[in-house]
Amino acid sequence: MRRRNLTAYGFLSPYLLIFAAFWLWPIIYSFYLSFLSTRRAPWTFNPSMTWLRITQDTAFYNALWNTLKILAIQVPAMVFLATVLAVLLNSQLLRARGLIRFAFFAPVVIGEAAYAAVFRLMFNTDFGIVNKTLQAIGLSKVDWFANPSAAMSLIIMAVTWRWVGYNAIIILSGLQSIQTDVYEAATLERVSPRQQFFHITLPLLRPVLVFCFVLSVIGSMQLFAEPYLITNMGGPGGATETLGLFLYRQGFLNLNFGYASAIAYTIAALAVAISALNMWIGRDRT
Amino acid sequence: MASVSINQVTKQFGAVSVIRGANLHVEDGELVVFVGPSGCGKSTLLRMIAGLEDISSGDIHIGDTMVNDIEPGDRGVAMVFQSYALYPHMSVQQNMSFGLRMNGNEKADTERRVQTAAKVLQLKPLLARLPKQLSGGQRQRVAIGRAIVREPQVFLFDEPLSNLDAELRVQMRVEIARLHKELQATMIYVTHDQTEAMTLADRIVVLRDGLIEQVGSPLELYHNPANAFVAGFIGSPRINFFTGVATEYAEGHQLVQLSGRGSAVAKVATTEALPSGTLIKVGVRPEHFEIGGACGFPIKVDVVEQLGSVSYLYADTTSEYPLIVARQDDGDHRSDELTISIRAGKALLFGADGNRLR
Ligand SMILES: Nc1ncnc2c1ncn2[C@@H]1O[C@H](COP(=O)(O)OP(=O)(O)O)[C@@H](O)[C@H]1O
Ligand SMILES: [Mg+2]
Repeated sequence: MRRRNLTAYGFLSPYLLIFAAFWLWPIIYSFYLSFLSTRRAPWTFNPSMTWLRITQDTAFYNALWNTLKILAIQVPAMVFLATVLAVLLNSQLLRARGLIRFAFFAPVVIGEAAYAAVFRLMFNTDFGIVNKTLQAIGLSKVDWFANPSAAMSLIIMAVTWRWVGYNAIIILSGLQSIQTDVYEAATLERVSPRQQFFHITLPLLRPVLVFCFVLSVIGSMQLFAEPYLITNMGGPGGATETLGLFLYRQGFLNLNFGYASAIAYTIAALAVAISALNMWIGRDRT
Repeated sequence: MASVSINQVTKQFGAVSVIRGANLHVEDGELVVFVGPSGCGKSTLLRMIAGLEDISSGDIHIGDTMVNDIEPGDRGVAMVFQSYALYPHMSVQQNMSFGLRMNGNEKADTERRVQTAAKVLQLKPLLARLPKQLSGGQRQRVAIGRAIVREPQVFLFDEPLSNLDAELRVQMRVEIARLHKELQATMIYVTHDQTEAMTLADRIVVLRDGLIEQVGSPLELYHNPANAFVAGFIGSPRINFFTGVATEYAEGHQLVQLSGRGSAVAKVATTEALPSGTLIKVGVRPEHFEIGGACGFPIKVDVVEQLGSVSYLYADTTSEYPLIVARQDDGDHRSDELTISIRAGKALLFGADGNRLR
């Protein structure tokens, strides 16, 4: 028994070593860093330059506010859309199911740079297809990159486009785990399809929906690629700067690793707190 | 309560014919059991009555109403599924009341019906539990309770006991029989288990490959099967089949020489003589042998099943269907070599096409 355990750990050791070197150690080290002033050498212990500063930094509050705004609008909208998509995907009437499922999953595997470039083209103020279409149906064009609210909604649309299919696939697997004869029993009891959805499907889907919420909250808290690549590093004027981008700016542009570490820990703590709130709201009450 | 009429009903799934012209009338208050091997179309026929499958041709009446184009929920049927199909997130109480609540039934009435059903099925202490906190037998009782509270015209059961262990199955069988008596309800019950069919049914419908082979009371089917399939399917242990050749006919009895059994002869009452030399199949139930006798044949007993009231002797155990002989004594007959013969008038004769020769 002992020997077998040793063998198992022997096989695990390469992974454990890499995990320790590139995950565990940075996590511990950055906690230590978060108490150091790293603006100039030598680094000295000075939490007021990190933990105190974070409570007073208006740029941090701007990034936090932007992130929460995106989270509050994008996550519920996307999970709602994903649920609708999953129900449609699950329909008996649907043809070419495999192809459509692949199409929904595709955005996740496309490179971020490529997808950002396409969004920039589509939403280009002067010759993008979105503004062309808006004008064609008699609306005025929108300056997607210069108008703060428009830029914010552009980020929300992009993130939703990228992840809605992924979530729909997760929800679809939840739908398919519900026995069909439960619906047959309900049909025989004269329960309408609408009532079946709200009284059977949704309650049985709850654990999956909570999972999607938590996953999306964590994703949104770390949102980086879209504001970096699509709206010109959080433009216009910091209107789409997220916590992820703010962290990157402090750490890798200003090379202020102590402050960046404190920000990283704050993001993680917020993600845990919001996810826990999600799970508490969606808990099994029976 | 209502009668159910099935007229010339067929069902195709694409090019495959699953029900090939079924005709049946179920009387008001009758308990009819559909029985047949797996895949013969029992569930399909039941689901057509429920409205869960479309009818390819023909029509189905419940009471005086043609229900072909009536929604499942409006047919006045309730169904109990093999998998129970309980709502996993609802308590026993909620499971039973769900349909009524969704249809705006008066609250007090719903509550009264749930309480009555819970009492009949001994579910009262379990009303607050979730399905996952119940045993298989309890779940099945909840499924039955859910059907009862709807006060349907017709109850449909699709192999409701096949997920239960043997002892529970017997217990639930008795319970369903009692419910049928108490509710005086029309019930259609599907099973592949002929024992269940024999013990529950007012009438049994034997299905094979989408065709109704015979309809009749359990004893009718047992003593007077219409063909070799029904004879082989009904009765446990199974009927023994021999091949034979018709010989003489005398005084209303046909004599048949059994092939490969020495000089063994079966004497069967029939209405007319068969041409001498006709090849036929002879069916003999295990209890229709006697030990000794003039026109018997020898057997060597390989295995004995002693059930207390009766013992079954098994010979020819290397063949697909061993020869089974019932014996009403407690002796240990293993390795016995004995001569057995067929009781006069007790064998059943079948033609080359499997149909009964009377
Ligand atoms: N939805 C379906 N599509 C195609 N074939 C089906 C379908 N449902 C049942 N069948 C076929 O119809 C036949 C009868 O099925 P069923 O009524 O379930 O049999 P039973 O209940 O007697 O075991 C089987 O051969 C089965 O494969
Ligand atoms: Mg079946």
